[in-house]
Amino acid sequence: MIAKAYALFKKDLHSELRTRYAINSLAMFIIVAISIIMFAVGQERVSEALTGGLFWVVIFFTAMSGLSRAFVSEEERGTSLTLQLVAAPSTVFTGKLVFNIILVFTMNTVITLLYAALFESFVIKNFNLFLLSFVFGNIGLAVSSTIIAAIIAKAGAKGTLYPVLSFPILLPLIISSVQLTLSALDGTSIADSKYELAIVISYDVIMLTASYLLFDFIWKD
Amino acid sequence: MKNKYMFGGFIIVVFLGIMIYLFTQSNIQYQDDFTKVMNTNKTVKATGTWVKEEGYDIDKENKQFIFYMKDENGNKMKVVYDGTMPNNFESASSVVVTGKYVNGYFHARDILTKCPSKYEGQEVQTSTM
Repeated sequence: MIAKAYALFKKDLHSELRTRYAINSLAMFIIVAISIIMFAVGQERVSEALTGGLFWVVIFFTAMSGLSRAFVSEEERGTSLTLQLVAAPSTVFTGKLVFNIILVFTMNTVITLLYAALFESFVIKNFNLFLLSFVFGNIGLAVSSTIIAAIIAKAGAKGTLYPVLSFPILLPLIISSVQLTLSALDGTSIADSKYELAIVISYDVIMLTASYLLFDFIWKD
Repeated sequence: MKNKYMFGGFIIVVFLGIMIYLFTQSNIQYQDDFTKVMNTNKTVKATGTWVKEEGYDIDKENKQFIFYMKDENGNKMKVVYDGTMPNNFESASSVVVTGKYVNGYFHARDILTKCPSKYEGQEVQTSTM
């Protein structure tokens, strides 16, 4: 099963590197969103609290612009039926999930680097806390966006449906992650933000379990 | 096959419970003991009263409003707020400041004042006829 999932991941990676659809849309969105924020801010000094929020605004909408590709591309090319014949549902999901996790990590690393370079108030005072919230937040984002991508792939208005459906599901993750980013910028210790970290971790566990349980039904229609 | 759903459902319910519990814990908490406010580096809502004898200070250059607060046990704390003085500050019976204790003073980002009510209760007059 792992070998099959890996093969599926490699297939996705190759087709992505050939078309560069998701990478391009993510990169364009990051650049456009951050430039607009830069223009809007102007000479004003943005407070730490606001930077943490703006950071997650860019992450959320960037994720919404590119991550639905995982399943939408299969549907558009008409290859989803073949995929159903070849592999078990959980294998398909694992392959797509790994692909999306790598995409999310790349995307957020780029966003973090850009923020650190362009915003003077984005100075991470507690790097360990930031790293922890970054890793768990990214996993949660990847899992949720993958399962929602699978749900909307068969629907009509994919572009609008994706962020609308994702928002309520991602809300607990985003609230806690904004708080965690803020604490990391503030220099709050890990022990003081253990509740938020635990929320993000339990969110990851819930979404992973729910995704693997429900994917059979979503995939088989 | 049935077991898988039971097990998965169990995990989801347990972690959902943990998450909801933690959500109620992670909000900003009220603190009326200033020694605790000074020792934590968390954002808290400190409740106390304004020390009238010390007065207040308005720093026009940095746009800051500086005053002293004390809690029920008489612990005093310097409060610095980035902004102007609230209108009814002088008549307030108690003050709630949201912020964090850093570098020897409480850096407030929000002030709430509680005012004595204008509408005091009157004794009910009963007629004896």
